[in-house]
Amino acid sequence: MKLHLGIILFFISSFAHAKTIEVCITCEVKTLKEGINLAEDGDTILIKKGIYKEHDVHIINKAIHIKGEDNPVIDGENKGTVISIRGENFTIEGLTIINVGRSYTKDFAAILVSESSNFTIKNNILENVFFGILLEKSTDGLIEGNKISSQAVSEANSGNGIHLWYSKKITIHNNKVRQMRDGIYIEFGDNCIVTNNRAHENVRYGLHFMFSNYNEYHYNVFEENGAGVAVMFSKFINMSNNTFRKSWGDASYGLLLKEINDSELNNNTFDQNTIGINADGATRVTYIQNDFTNNGYAIKVHGACYNNTFKENNFLHNAFDVGYSGRMNYNVFDNNYWSSYSGYDLDKDGIGDVPYRPVRLFSHIVNKTPESIVLLRSLFIDMVDFSERVSPIFTPAELIDENPRMRRILWSK
Amino acid sequence: MKSPILLLLLALGLLTSCSTQPEPINYGTDVCHFCKMTIVSKTHAAQAVSNKGKQFKYDAIECMVNDLNMENKAEMSILLVANYLNAGEMLPAEKATYIITPNIPSPMGGNLSATANNADAEKLKAENGGELFDWNALKNRKVQPNHGHH
Repeated sequence: MKLHLGIILFFISSFAHAKTIEVCITCEVKTLKEGINLAEDGDTILIKKGIYKEHDVHIINKAIHIKGEDNPVIDGENKGTVISIRGENFTIEGLTIINVGRSYTKDFAAILVSESSNFTIKNNILENVFFGILLEKSTDGLIEGNKISSQAVSEANSGNGIHLWYSKKITIHNNKVRQMRDGIYIEFGDNCIVTNNRAHENVRYGLHFMFSNYNEYHYNVFEENGAGVAVMFSKFINMSNNTFRKSWGDASYGLLLKEINDSELNNNTFDQNTIGINADGATRVTYIQNDFTNNGYAIKVHGACYNNTFKENNFLHNAFDVGYSGRMNYNVFDNNYWSSYSGYDLDKDGIGDVPYRPVRLFSHIVNKTPESIVLLRSLFIDMVDFSERVSPIFTPAELIDENPRMRRILWSK
Repeated sequence: MKSPILLLLLALGLLTSCSTQPEPINYGTDVCHFCKMTIVSKTHAAQAVSNKGKQFKYDAIECMVNDLNMENKAEMSILLVANYLNAGEMLPAEKATYIITPNIPSPMGGNLSATANNADAEKLKAENGGELFDWNALKNRKVQPNHGHH
């Protein structure tokens, strides 16, 4: 009987206290901090339009919903982290957070989430931030519809837009991240899903995986980043339907693969990058139905790349389709369409009757002597390339597409 | 009359072309020799110059340590590590004191930082916990990303 009463009382109390606390300049509660002090589990803090100069707002073990109405601005005045939160079942929605402090040794963020689970960070605008949303040791979170930007010029004094550190099962959907160091950085993060985001003009990488396994990213657009995406020291990464555009310059890649195993890359578009994919230590990765258009190199393969399969890809108008830095090849190229293929198809089965060698000798010469690139369109170089194709000496002899397609491969975008 | 000056110029030219002085790191542009990441952290970078003057730059001290432990590595005449407590300053690796603590993450997951002296390192340890090393202890250790501390 006592137990029942207890349960009933518990329910009554928890329902009775689920209230909404309004915060505004003329309200009884004037600051976010006051609102949080008053709030209990289940409460909503409704922040009305206005400018709130607050930083180091701590929320610990309160399952509350912070909601901005008409984009209230929280100004951190360049003094450290603005909101830091630890707990379960909370929401931060509709805030505009500006002016986060910068430091060499502390990772100040607009929103810092640590050791938390089951949370949503949604539709916030974060401007002039050091780190935008920083997650530490957290699980089961949703980060959706946020717009994050700063004015990162050099990498050293800028932070990352969305940074996950030792976090699991986080969904990152439909965010826009611009002019940060890394747009989205997943460091020691497993089972995360990154979809429909747009990362552009980030100084280092649009999206960056490091020591992170079993992750996937789809339908994202990466444009004008130092490199679009970097996947390093990671396994089981599923990458599909992304667009990698305009990573142009020294050490610029659409996609940088470094020590990655057992992954898939399907239906992606690589357009106008200095190097579409730069692979170094990539093993058992399959590349199926991707488009490589107008890149300097479509794919550059460095050492220790084993058992990769390139199938049904379109290589269109790249200066070099494939660059290799050795004579050995342990990878398969089959059934791709190469716009520079000049063979014929007498039996009309859609597959060229002579195999295609995607590695030009000239790419080796350029590797050794970069200045020789001025000879790119010369007749002499065409002759050099032709003779190498007839009898390969410097390029991997077994690197052949035996079934080059005569027509561009159509796959649904 | 002119020949000694010419000789001097020639000697100078020879000297500079074989220089084993470390080049400054261009943060945000230079790429780590070991892991290929762009070097960004002024508090964790490292660099080495071989006896022949070849420059090696690293985004993290753990990358330099791991690279030096590779086989057939060239003899280095200069080894420098970033001072965690003074961003941008490079310290001689042999003289620095190192701390490994999960509370100070480093770019390649080694949680490894360098300080100018023992006193600084002890102070960091008091605030963050962890373990201290000198260069000799550190260089024989394989600094792996630490997956185990959470």
